[in-house]
Amino acid sequence: MATVLLVEDDPAARQGLELALRRLGYMVRAAETGEAALRDFRDAAADVVVLDVMLPGLDGFEVCRRLRRDSDIPVIMLTARDDDLDIVGGLEAGADDYVVKPVEPRVLDARIRAVLRRTARADSPAETYGELMIDRGSLIVRRAGQDVSLPPTELRLLLVLSGSPRQVFSREQLLSLVWEHDYLGDSRLVDACVQRLRAKIETDTSEPRYIQTVRGFGYRFGPV
Amino acid sequence: MRTRLVIAFIVVALLSAIASSWFHTLIASYHLSAWLDDVILGPGWLQSLVHTDPGQPAPHPVRHTALVFFGVEAGLLLAMITTAAIAASRRVLQPVRRLAHAATRMSGGDLSVRIQPRGRDELAQLVTSFNGMASALEDKVGELEQMEARARQFAGDVSHELRTPLTAMTAVTDILYEHPGLAGDAATAARLVHHEVLHLNRLVEDLIEISRFDAGTAQLATDDTDVATVVGRCLRARGWTDVSADVPAGLTVRLDRRRFDIILANLVGNALRHGALPVTVTAGLHSDGHGGTRLTVDVHDHGDGLPPAAIPHLFDRFYKADTARARSEGSGLGLAIAWENARLHGGHIDAGNHSGGGAIFTVSLPVNGYLPISGTELQAEPARL
Repeated sequence: MATVLLVEDDPAARQGLELALRRLGYMVRAAETGEAALRDFRDAAADVVVLDVMLPGLDGFEVCRRLRRDSDIPVIMLTARDDDLDIVGGLEAGADDYVVKPVEPRVLDARIRAVLRRTARADSPAETYGELMIDRGSLIVRRAGQDVSLPPTELRLLLVLSGSPRQVFSREQLLSLVWEHDYLGDSRLVDACVQRLRAKIETDTSEPRYIQTVRGFGYRFGPV
Repeated sequence: MRTRLVIAFIVVALLSAIASSWFHTLIASYHLSAWLDDVILGPGWLQSLVHTDPGQPAPHPVRHTALVFFGVEAGLLLAMITTAAIAASRRVLQPVRRLAHAATRMSGGDLSVRIQPRGRDELAQLVTSFNGMASALEDKVGELEQMEARARQFAGDVSHELRTPLTAMTAVTDILYEHPGLAGDAATAARLVHHEVLHLNRLVEDLIEISRFDAGTAQLATDDTDVATVVGRCLRARGWTDVSADVPAGLTVRLDRRRFDIILANLVGNALRHGALPVTVTAGLHSDGHGGTRLTVDVHDHGDGLPPAAIPHLFDRFYKADTARARSEGSGLGLAIAWENARLHGGHIDAGNHSGGGAIFTVSLPVNGYLPISGTELQAEPARL
């Protein structure tokens, strides 16, 4: 029984989405503004945040950034897809995924479940690559001994890539393996996530050691 | 202008008269051979007007000199008349030529062109009228362009506004639809609402997509794509298992996968809805005759074909060829969006009837030359139908 923190300012849309999510089996806490959402988040434990981009006051991107400062909670943006800036902005702010409004409940359900799956634990010993330590069992990642905090999607991306070191994965494959999107998914999701991941684990993002770009093909982990 | 011409003619005439009489006076004192005399000196009555000593044969050198003078005078006269004529005509023709040139530029789209009128004659008046007409045209066209831009902006804004109520409705219609307690009229009503909300969603999404093309904000997100894979997935995702695809393996092209899928889905959907099985999708690479390569994708059905009157309008927005047909599931914008997607790639879509029956739509997209295109031989020319 996962808890969704729904942040949507339009009353009818909020009511409708809340109703739909409850019927899908989620517990829902609804917030009308970004500020209310941040307050709510501190008070109650939510498992996933569904966040509208267009909010009065603090906009969705800013809320996402602030959430990310202290937490790795999965965030799904609700965008109007007016402009591709919406999507890119959301990804750069740290969102794990996005859905386009109006959204059918089953689509939102599928995305929420996919993002929650990313935090599933595996049963294997910790692996070390250079300065990077990845423990699949406890889902801990350390760089040079320091814990690295990763939201579920970045974590899953790292796990998928490092699960087959030196193997090249195309963006299409990553979209399917990490986001569980169909082949028409937006490959910018992959690029934005790689950027965020590199910023956290690479010593020099202009010359990445762990997450390497293979031009014309995709990404690969190492060789370190 | 008339004055210029008149003056020009008078000058030329005067010059000729002066030159001629000078020459006549000069040689009148000599008697030349009879026929030349008659030619040069003219009839008797004319000769008597001038002091002469007829009957005296002219000495040879004089005769030769006279001939030379005659030639020189004729030549000079010709030169003067020609020069004067050219000068006069140029003065007249030059403003006319400028006017013609300006008109050509205007019809080419440059409505800002104006000419400086010179003088106050009829030509200057014509130039002034021309300038006035160009100004009025420029204003009018500007107004129309603004109106069109506003109309498109409005359509886009309306669609955005519609999305808000639609979000709430979309989230809950299936709750009504799936409610076990509803029966009879209520159940029918719930089903109707559910379908219409989804239809409205599609329509609004299409309208917004079109408004993005109109506003110029649509962008291409390209990726190296295996054509056979994307075609196969397009068909499978929609359950079109009875559509056959003939795409060479290993054909990799850089294109926007999502948009390509939209184009193909629309064409195949139309083929199935308005045409008839069998429907085939064929793809291949062709040289475009200018050193470049194009990816062509044909969607061919075996229905009744396209009514010829409809063909030029097929890609118009909201165009429905068969108005008597029950309204379709689509928005009426499918082909227009497909066309815009092809255009965004730098390509185009052609529609026509296949010689073997049925309709055939051909998508032609340019392929970036520098990318390695694997596994397929280039064909010299697309297959002629």
